[in-house]
Amino acid sequence: MEKIKIVIVDDSPFSISILKDLLEEQEFEVIGEASSLEETIKVVKEKKPDVVTMDMTIPGTDGLECTRAIHQIDENIKVIIVSSMKDDEIVKKAKENKVAGYVQKPADPEELSIVIKRAMADDNLLKELQGIYCDLFKESLTNNLNRIAKTIPIYEESIKLSEINDSRGISVVIGIIGKCSGRMVMDLSYETGKKITETALKREVKSIDEALAMVGEFANIVAGNACSMLNKKNKIFGLRVAPPTIFHGESLHLSKSNIQTNSIVGQTDFGEICLNIGFKRGEEEWM
Amino acid sequence: MDVRWINPFIEAFLNVMPQIGFQEIKKNNISVKSSSLTSSGVMMNLGVVGDLKGNVIYNIDLEDAKKIASKMMMGAPVLELDDMAQSAISELSNMLTANASINFSNMNISTNISIPTLMYGKDFEVKVNVDQFICVQMLVDQIPIDINIAVHE
Repeated sequence: MEKIKIVIVDDSPFSISILKDLLEEQEFEVIGEASSLEETIKVVKEKKPDVVTMDMTIPGTDGLECTRAIHQIDENIKVIIVSSMKDDEIVKKAKENKVAGYVQKPADPEELSIVIKRAMADDNLLKELQGIYCDLFKESLTNNLNRIAKTIPIYEESIKLSEINDSRGISVVIGIIGKCSGRMVMDLSYETGKKITETALKREVKSIDEALAMVGEFANIVAGNACSMLNKKNKIFGLRVAPPTIFHGESLHLSKSNIQTNSIVGQTDFGEICLNIGFKRGEEEWM
Repeated sequence: MDVRWINPFIEAFLNVMPQIGFQEIKKNNISVKSSSLTSSGVMMNLGVVGDLKGNVIYNIDLEDAKKIASKMMMGAPVLELDDMAQSAISELSNMLTANASINFSNMNISTNISIPTLMYGKDFEVKVNVDQFICVQMLVDQIPIDINIAVHE
């Protein structure tokens, strides 16, 4: 495995030298150092580190301002505060500035190593999930549609990095909770929902409510099965689904999400079924 | 359905709303609703699992959502509920529910929440998985925000 690349920001050359030795002993690669805001910006832009260790007291600036500057360059860089000060107020401010961890000076080598590795692991976990979830949600939709209606969807070649925006009529929202949290939206037209329900029940639907309930349950099963399959791939995901909420109407829109989502569009005998899925990294639990 | 589930949300409003510049936060009314809601406006849905299971759905009128987004964006005018504004409102629902989740944990009720999904439109209906649930209407600087607490134990 590649070594985790680190930049050290500290105003004291003595501290930098101690931290550098300590990190290198723990098998990290120290690729740069900085003692001011300007130097921090320069070295982060040039060296592209995975992690920055950050002192809180830096002349002319502070650790939090430097953290914000780093995240403006690349918000995926993990900033870990290594400071002699640690109290509730500072920790709260650090969290507000999206700091990934906090270690008090003098830094314990083992503690610092664990904090760095944990910050990186969360990121790798999300990447792993993002690499596989589309295929497994597709597989789950295929299996379950086949099970209830003896037909399988044909998927559009490309998975769209986009949103549904305008609902086809029925949108079932399912929240997903776990080490990475997310959501799935199943979107289809009234006509499609009605046809699937009639095929599954082998009779005409009595009311729109019957079709809505059926589609809600179907979405729940698709999401639940997909998450089980994902958990089997890596049990650290620990994904669980919340109950479905069914939105429907002629003029209904799904907002662009704060996270990157993928849309899977399946053509079926009953019409289009669209799944829009997205995950984000779990909240840091470093307190 | 339990009245103890109301306070964690009210406390969340009292905590979070002043941080984004709202001054007067109060509870307007509390009602019990049945499994479906109709709305014209904006709804944010967050899934909940843990000791409580279900969904928390916030409902705001479209014009009011723009006002809140504007406040969150340092007073920048919000004429349309564009991507930025939707993002701000989504983030608000996330902050409120995460805060409520912490309040629940102080009552030894452990909950985890999903990311928010924001839906908006005209005359749409929402069906939740519980027969009856509590709706708390908060007023933040006179703007009504409904919190539909559609969870069960």
